[in-house]
Amino acid sequence: MLDTSIARSVIDHAISLGADFAELFIERNQINNISTLSSEVQAVQSGIDFGIGVRVVYGTKVLYGYTNRTESDELCRIVTELSAMDLRDPETAVARFDFSTPNDIHHAEQTLTKGSEVESKVEYLLKADRVARAASNMISQTRGGCLQREQSVEIFTSEGLHASDIRNYIRASLSAIASNGSEQATGSFNDGGLIGWEIHEAIDPEKTGSEASRQALVNLSAKACPSGRMPVVIGPGFGGVIFHEACGHLLETTSVAKKASVFHDKLGELIANPVVNAVDDGTMAKEWGSINIDDEGMPTQRTQLIENGQLTNFLADRVGAEQTGYDRTGSGRRQSYKFAPASRMRNTFIEPGDAKLDDMITSIDRGIYASHMGGGSVQPGTGEFNFAVTEGYYVENGKVQYPVKAATLISTGPAVLKEISMVGNDFALACGMCGSVSGAVPTTVGQPSLKVDDILVGGNA
Amino acid sequence: MEAAERILQWITEAGATGDLMVAEGASLSLKARDGDLEEHKVSSSQVFGIRVIKDDKAGVAYSEASDNAALRLMVDQALTNASYARRDANEQVPDKAITLATDDNLLAPTDDVSVEEKIDTVLRLERELAARDKVKNVPYNSVSDVTAAQRIFSTAGLKATSRVRACFSQAAALVEDGDKNVMEGWGQGARRFDELDIDNIVETAHANCLALLHGEAVPTGHYDVIFDAQCQPTMFSTFSMMFSGKAAKDGINPMRDKVGEDIADARLNLFDSPLLDDGFGYALFDDEGSPTARTPLIANGNLETLIHNSATAAHFGLQTTGNGARSPRSTLEVQLHQFEIGPGDAEDDAITSGEYLELTDLTGTHSGANPVAGDFSFGASGFLCRDGERIQPVRNITVAGNFYEMLNKIGLIGQTRYWDMNRHAFMPRIRFSDVAISG
Repeated sequence: MLDTSIARSVIDHAISLGADFAELFIERNQINNISTLSSEVQAVQSGIDFGIGVRVVYGTKVLYGYTNRTESDELCRIVTELSAMDLRDPETAVARFDFSTPNDIHHAEQTLTKGSEVESKVEYLLKADRVARAASNMISQTRGGCLQREQSVEIFTSEGLHASDIRNYIRASLSAIASNGSEQATGSFNDGGLIGWEIHEAIDPEKTGSEASRQALVNLSAKACPSGRMPVVIGPGFGGVIFHEACGHLLETTSVAKKASVFHDKLGELIANPVVNAVDDGTMAKEWGSINIDDEGMPTQRTQLIENGQLTNFLADRVGAEQTGYDRTGSGRRQSYKFAPASRMRNTFIEPGDAKLDDMITSIDRGIYASHMGGGSVQPGTGEFNFAVTEGYYVENGKVQYPVKAATLISTGPAVLKEISMVGNDFALACGMCGSVSGAVPTTVGQPSLKVDDILVGGNA
Repeated sequence: MEAAERILQWITEAGATGDLMVAEGASLSLKARDGDLEEHKVSSSQVFGIRVIKDDKAGVAYSEASDNAALRLMVDQALTNASYARRDANEQVPDKAITLATDDNLLAPTDDVSVEEKIDTVLRLERELAARDKVKNVPYNSVSDVTAAQRIFSTAGLKATSRVRACFSQAAALVEDGDKNVMEGWGQGARRFDELDIDNIVETAHANCLALLHGEAVPTGHYDVIFDAQCQPTMFSTFSMMFSGKAAKDGINPMRDKVGEDIADARLNLFDSPLLDDGFGYALFDDEGSPTARTPLIANGNLETLIHNSATAAHFGLQTTGNGARSPRSTLEVQLHQFEIGPGDAEDDAITSGEYLELTDLTGTHSGANPVAGDFSFGASGFLCRDGERIQPVRNITVAGNFYEMLNKIGLIGQTRYWDMNRHAFMPRIRFSDVAISG
């Protein structure tokens, strides 16, 4: 996407100004977004993002700029402006570019370049819509969406790296509103991956529609949630957001290097109940959070984070590795050329155990079964997190009693990891978007059902 | 602007109407770490976005590339996208052949602060906060200076240009004392860099940390609650869909059939007030070129109107309220400019009499709220207070309820009004009764 001679001249210029490291990140991002509402196509949107991110590093100081223009003069001007306060004689040599194409472990067939497939996607969304509405006359509205994205990236560095990759993302979703005249409740279902529109062969509009309407109807019948500290069983799949928020963010060198993570000095220590094993894996074929190479050009990998409760690794990007001394893990990610890369999660999950969901429920005298989770957030310095229950049930005397609404779980990362007492065998993954210092990136969360013995439930009862 | 004229001509030649939005921005962002500059980021960007309407069908497309071929492709894509859309005769390009412009002296003032001085500012921000008592480090700090320009052109002859500048500084410190730790911060926005008060940010961030360091949960129960000047606008913004004419048209706004009905305590008067020029939401015209006005949304507890663009207004047989909103990448939406709540009749002593919780921080507002149902459950911290005195810092609690029901659980509304940190809301304190707290 960028002429090699231009890349060479810009990087030469940065090194001539005394930079230790220089990088160009070129991105072309094509999107197509279809939305449906009231059983009709509401809008079809498309667009092309294109820009170049320029990163210059002096020691551990990161200087970053971006532009939509490709001329050498403009890119060199940005380098000059960024380096103005740090000018010095050259201290390193520029290596010759060695072009590499990564092993494509997430090959896509029906890409945006080949066609938007609008008719086929609309057919899928409207079928899901019909299924949802057929579930009950209390389903008052549905909204569908299918977002496909083709991101082409090219990376040049002063260390001689020249790599490129194409990432094809797709995600389809349906949300439903159930209404009984006086109250409304919502439900939703989505699926996606690092794959083209051939995903429609693997995802089912019947399931999409029926799950969205089922959840909306359950929530419409939900009662106020009890409050206070109690045991909670967190369901599989998106329930993994608990680990993502409570622990994953605290293992990124972005916070570890600043000592803004409660785990920054805990490598090798027991930080979780020994039943807990956790992984961040970018290699899982065609999963939403997977990559071939990270946004610094390093091949992705599987990184064991916790083994039998012991902290075994952090997630490190290039700068984070320099700041902490830990090895890079192919985790340097960014939303777009507008962001410098930072250490970020990919597909992050707690590995399955051997407990059964029924046994977890049966073991509870008074508590909550949070079968579906929403998003949340964490404060890395203290580990304090919150996340929302989107479908939950009150449990008493070992039995599910009734659905509950408007509940949030709050705790701290170190505390909740030690409160996990049972790990189930019903492992599942779910896709989401993770926002942090380098923008919003696709990440997968996952886990089997887990029992947390004691956590604060914020309800409205 | 040559490119704009070409694009509008292509739209017209295709037998369509449409509008073009060109957004341009330049920014500087600085962060410090351990006494040195950690990040220095500069940017310049431009994006073209169009909306075309043909046969009563609208389509949008955008491009960050500005060469002739890319812009032509953008127009072709928008026309193709329109062909799939549902027919909606209410969405038309407004018949406005006018030229509008904002006042740079007011919204994008200049100053003489150099890049070197801005770097010194962020270094001083981190250094002075890090030197405060019990501060372990200042992991999050920044200063930024952003100028954004937007130009709108339509086939009807509209030319609207606006330019705004926003400078911002914030810092959050990690404070430790024995086995207790806390991370709190403060920030400030201004239109001129030299209006940023770094001393006040350092002082307030540190004071916030120390005040909450030894916080403990209060027992689960129902309390009177006052959300502070940051949290109260957050609550209203989180549920602002209740005022959206677009969401009403789409059948998801729970208030869609309640215009003209009492939905809140009779003492509540709430406005969209774009003409308050102290606020960052100040605007004389919206993204369709329609004039803005102070719009009463809730008057004496009665839902007066929803906010509208030209399309949602036409759908309901009304006039636009000047709340049309678009970005180069989006379809036509509606957007509030800035909240204003009218003063109540309660004096400070009355608002703070007896026991109540003052909530100063809410977490999970993006995930713990359901605007369709009104239900929410957030992490919270603040202070247990009695007769205006903070008697216990409070952490690790949740606040939960139904926002639409809370609007009828207003105990008192204060007389004095405050801007929030981001200067998007101007409100008095409201004391809500019987709010569920878990601890």
